Amino acid sequence: MELANVRLEREIKERKRAEEEIQRTNRELSATNKELEAFSYSVSHDLRTPLRSIDGFSQALLEDYADKLDATAKGHLQRVRRAAQRMAALIDDMLNLSRVTRCELHREKLDLSAMAKLIAAELQEAEPSRHVEFVIESGLTAVGDPQLLHAAMENLFRNSWKYTSGHPTARIEFGSSVEKEKHSFLVRDDGAGFDPRYADRLFGAFQRLHTAKEFPGTGIGLATVQRIIHRHGGEVWAEGAVEKGATFYFTL
Amino acid sequence: MDGKTILLVEDNADDEALTFRALMKNNISNQLVVARDGAEALDYLFATGQYSGRDTSIGPQVVLLDLNLPKVSGLEVLRQLRANERTKLLPVVILTSSTEEQDRLQGYDYGANSYVRKPVDFNHFIEAVRQLGLYWLILNEQPPARR
Repeated sequence: MELANVRLEREIKERKRAEEEIQRTNRELSATNKELEAFSYSVSHDLRTPLRSIDGFSQALLEDYADKLDATAKGHLQRVRRAAQRMAALIDDMLNLSRVTRCELHREKLDLSAMAKLIAAELQEAEPSRHVEFVIESGLTAVGDPQLLHAAMENLFRNSWKYTSGHPTARIEFGSSVEKEKHSFLVRDDGAGFDPRYADRLFGAFQRLHTAKEFPGTGIGLATVQRIIHRHGGEVWAEGAVEKGATFYFTL
Repeated sequence: MDGKTILLVEDNADDEALTFRALMKNNISNQLVVARDGAEALDYLFATGQYSGRDTSIGPQVVLLDLNLPKVSGLEVLRQLRANERTKLLPVVILTSSTEEQDRLQGYDYGANSYVRKPVDFNHFIEAVRQLGLYWLILNEQPPARR
């Protein structure tokens, strides 16, 4: 009887210690999150302001001194403007990515097929001249954060939309399959695809496998998708080949 | 449009110059009053400090308010302006760099009429100022003066 008590006491002590450990970790996490929020806040306000000056006064030079600047000079100023605007876009993307990490996850039952149809309709409406066939499997549902998953799906669809823009017609699919013994969702297109040798760079933030001339973008879309899927405890991966399209799989 | 004042509350000299330029580009020739920090803005609005004796019947047509200001913050300016009987109906457009949710929420919570983010691209900025001018100076009906 005494031995059992001693063992119980020890167990209780250890559990208390573990609980305190968890509480301490939670406090640290909360503090880190607050720091991230303050950082993002500062970035949001303070980094854009000088960029506005760079862009604005370059434009002022181009306009007010147009007759005193030759073509080369104007070209330099235009590069300055483009660089400032690009930096602004990068800042926006970084902020969005950090927001995805910071915000609270609300889990709901979601109709992914309906979401896909909405996104497809928006893309078509924005560019009615493009001929894209959307094949969307119906009845696909999942549990997750509606805003984040919408962002993830939109990123994937926008990518397919973008990388099929070089072809006169395109086909973008949304469906499900069993991959790696798991029920997974997929977004597939028959566009520019990618070289599978560089597949591990696909999800890196700001990493691109195409130049800006070929396809515009900052390279944050897939990094955002990955972060969102990981926050849901899922996986995301891709298969593709050059000019043979790409398929993005994700589990939740 | 003339005779209607725009109060610009902006501490950054570059942003002030660019806003002025954008207004000029849009032929908005209203008198522009610039307050370079929150305290100056309140002095202007309530005719105190350096603005004591100002004829307050000439209220600004619209207030373009930056949020990040020295001395008194943009939100505090807004709060005081909304708390004062004479100024509480003034149209206020928050014109700021940030779209952080807490800023937008607080801005609207404190009673801003509108929240516009300052774009980096100057051409977009000119367009934004054009739309703001068209709306707040022409289309929008001013609140009547209290008797």
